[in-house]
Parts: sequence; structure tokens; C-alpha cells
Amino acid sequence: MSIAALLQKDASAMAAAVQSKAVSAVALVQASLDRIEATNARVNAFTDVVRERALRRAAQIDASLFSDRGARTRELPLLGVPFAVKSLFDIAGLPTLAGSKIERESPPARSDAELVRRLENAGAVLVGALNMDEYAYGFTTENSHVGAAHNPHDLSRIAGGSSGGSGAAVAAGQVPLALGSDTNGSIRVPASLCGVFGLKPTFGRLPRTGSYPFVSSLDHLGPFARSVRDLALAYDLMQGPEAPGLRDNGCAQREAELATPALSRGLQGLRIGVLGGYFRERAQPEALTAVDAVAQALGASQTVELPMVEAGRAAAFLITNSEGAALHLPDLRTRAHDFEPLSRDRFLAGALLPAAWIARAQRVRRLYAEQVARLFERYDVLLAAATPCAATPIGAEWFEINGQRLPVRPSMGVLTQPISCIGLPVCAVPVWGAHPDLPIGVQVIAAPWREDIVLRVAAALESAGVAQAPVAAL
Amino acid sequence: MTPEQLVSYVDATSAALGLRLRADHRPGVVRFFGLAAEFAALVEAVPLGPHDEPAVNFTPVTPREKEA
Repeated sequence: MSIAALLQKDASAMAAAVQSKAVSAVALVQASLDRIEATNARVNAFTDVVRERALRRAAQIDASLFSDRGARTRELPLLGVPFAVKSLFDIAGLPTLAGSKIERESPPARSDAELVRRLENAGAVLVGALNMDEYAYGFTTENSHVGAAHNPHDLSRIAGGSSGGSGAAVAAGQVPLALGSDTNGSIRVPASLCGVFGLKPTFGRLPRTGSYPFVSSLDHLGPFARSVRDLALAYDLMQGPEAPGLRDNGCAQREAELATPALSRGLQGLRIGVLGGYFRERAQPEALTAVDAVAQALGASQTVELPMVEAGRAAAFLITNSEGAALHLPDLRTRAHDFEPLSRDRFLAGALLPAAWIARAQRVRRLYAEQVARLFERYDVLLAAATPCAATPIGAEWFEINGQRLPVRPSMGVLTQPISCIGLPVCAVPVWGAHPDLPIGVQVIAAPWREDIVLRVAAALESAGVAQAPVAAL
Repeated sequence: MTPEQLVSYVDATSAALGLRLRADHRPGVVRFFGLAAEFAALVEAVPLGPHDEPAVNFTPVTPREKEA
């Protein structure tokens, strides 16, 4: 198999090729770097490429394979696999920009983020940092400082956000694996619009140490991939408690509960419902078609309502607006003009919210979580569209959903925000054919700590050909 | 809140916080504060009792053990 053909495969196939010495880690990483160089002017997914670091690390892997440590090196599950991370993950030697202009003045990170370390310990090779909405406040990755991330399946359209570079890099075949963050939908929205798999784990599952926060009460980290086995593998490799010392206080520090062994278990015994009401009223025809196709493949015919969903979404909006703004208040006071113009006024308004609204929002969030937990006594899986529609044109201000004219930038997450508000695990699966040319994602949602179930269902959909993530023809 | 109340509130609280709003930022800030007020109304409409606790929990910090 040629190196170009291998680059179209998933991370597991790439690692197997390096493990068998069919290809060297240096050749694989070089191919990824070449693909980035050939396509990034059009896609704008990468904002930093760490070429020297990546080639040095790949050379170390190759040397180790031919040393007396070769047998142990060969067992690393992501051996030689190139990956990239949203620019809010610390990369040693680079300032952590989080998509901003302001953080260009920050000192370089002294070490890598915890999840970067965990993937590299499994043999993966970091190749760079990815475009995003400034400070993760957005759903479109139309970053005014470095330009918009372009959707690899239609370069005139958005990649989604805020982890738009992560979705675009994987869809463009620049890397088979990327990391992003999700506070209100920032993994699931770009996964949906770019046609790749994305996992938002349970709130508190993966440690956020070494990542730039947006809203500590709601921030999650997770992977993007072009196959479910890669998504599960990366997720499994990133699980587990942190070593004593500097730790993420929002992390539950649970022991790893591996999802990969569950992938082949099929659908037997799973009770699956389709979310109606709020979720269908805010979806355009292609989103409804995609959900219906997934539901049919899974044999799910029952429509269920998520209790308190509008209040839950409202709570997430308020907590995000207030907590995100408070984090940046010193800079908002002195240099508001340096913020992203598309989110600056939202940040400024968030700084002014009355404390009583936020305290109440956190109480409503708890009540909402308790009511949804009761729903999960009757269902193992819930389905909903990940975005109201397929990717919109870059620069579009408005879209129409069910006759209602809504602003694109805050509304693209209308279907994801109520789910992350209460920390449920979700796999966004990419569906083709619901829209004439573009993919759109469906959320596979489960009760807290049941990532194994959402990945198991995603694997079944992938096996049935209902969900797939091809590399874009660029 | 009426449109006038929104503007009064934004002006008063931004001054109290030392947040000087530029003339070209102020209309957007008022608009987004108005959006937040709409979401706040949804949250206010949920009946809550005194025992409905917030979703945020605090974990006390244990001091590191002294070295021998």
C-alpha cells in the first residue's frame, strides 16, 4: 500500500503498518506533514505545525523499533500515528493561544497537556495546533485573527466550532485523529458539519489539566476520528486518574472503564428512543432525515421528550455567558478591542449578568439532570440531530428553522447545548445522503459514564454503512 | 425588562465593574444582555424549593502530608 493510500485509512491501520514495519514512523509523519502543507492554505485547519518536534519523535520511534526495546515499542497502540490538537491544549514551547490574539503575548507552555502526553505515551506523534473560535466561544470557527476554518467537503462553508480545526483536519485527511473541547457542542457541531466521528465523554471523565479553560463548570475534552475503533481507542488511552500533584478539580479521577471491548457487542438489549419536541422543532429537513435513518437502522420507533429541555439550555447559556466572561474580565476592562469581534459583545454582556440568575441556573441544571436521569431508567440510548442543518456558507449571519429566522453563530449549538449542560456522554456519528452534498451528524446519547454504549451503537451504525467518515476529495 | 431598563442596567453595572464600553460595543452588549434576560426568564419560570441544590459542589482541599 502506498503512503498516500495509507493516509486515507484510519489511525489503527496506520499504527498496524508501523508496527509491522511496512512503513516507518518518519515516512508516515512526513506524509501527514506533506498533506498539511498541500491542503492547509485551502482548509486553514492548522494554526501551528510542529514539524521538527514531530519528525524527531518519529525518528525516536523508528530507532526504538530496531533496538532491544523493539518488542515493547511495537505494542504501542498508536505507534507513529500523527495527531493534532485544538489550540487550547498546551504544547511545550508554544504559547497556548486558544484562538486568541491576546494570548500571543503569553509565555510558552512549559509542558504538554495531560491528554497530549497520554496519546504520545501510546506512540502517537503530535504534528500541530488547530484553528478554533476565540476562547472557544462560538460554533463556526470564523476566527477573525487567523481566518475561518473551511469545511473540507465544501470549502465555501464553515467547519463548525468551536473545535472547527479539529473536525476539518480529520475530514481533510491531514491527520486521522484530533482532540477538541466541548462546552456546549464544540466537538459535536464540527463533527456533524465536517462528517467525522466525535466523542464528548461524560463531564469529569477526561482530565483537562494543561488546557485553556472556557467555562470550568461545563468544559469537556474529547477526540475526533474517521472510524469508531479509533475514537474508542483514543478515548480508552486517555482515560484514568491523574498522578498526585497538579490535577483537574473538575475531573472525577475514575479508573479507566474501557469502551473498545464493547464495540462488537451489537445492539442487543438496548432500549433506544428518539428525542422529539424541542429537538425536532429546531431541525431542518436534512437533520430530521439523518435522525430517521439512524433510528430506522437501530430499530428505534419510540419518540420521547427530554424533560425541562428549554430551561436546561437556558441554564447552560447563562452559566457559559457569565463564567466565560468573568474569566476574561481583566482583559475585557482594558483591551476589549483585542477580542474577536464576533464574540466580544457577548463576552462583555456576560460580565454583567446578575448573580441571582447564575445561582438559579445552577440549581435548575441540577433539577434538570435529575429529571433526565429518570428518563434513562426507561432508555439506554437517546437520538437527536447534532446540528439543525448541514454546514452553512462562511459569513452567513442567519438561517431559518421551521419558519423562524435565527442567528447562525449562537444557534448552531441549539441541539447540543441541552445535552452537555448535564454532562451526558455523546458520540456524534456522520450521516451522508440526508443532504444532497454534505454530511450531517446525529447525537447518540447515553446516561452518565456509559461511553461504552454510545460507542457500541456508533460501531453498529458504522458496520451497517449508515455512518461513515470518508476523507474529503481536496 | 423593558428596552430602557436593559440600557440602564447595562450602563450602571458596566460602570460599577469598571468596564468602559466603547460606543461601537455598547449596542451589541445591550442586545446580548437582552438575549440573556430572555434565557433568565426561562430559568426563573422553573419552580424550585429550598432543597433544590446547585449543580456545583465544592471539594475541601486536604493539606499535603508534612515531610518527616
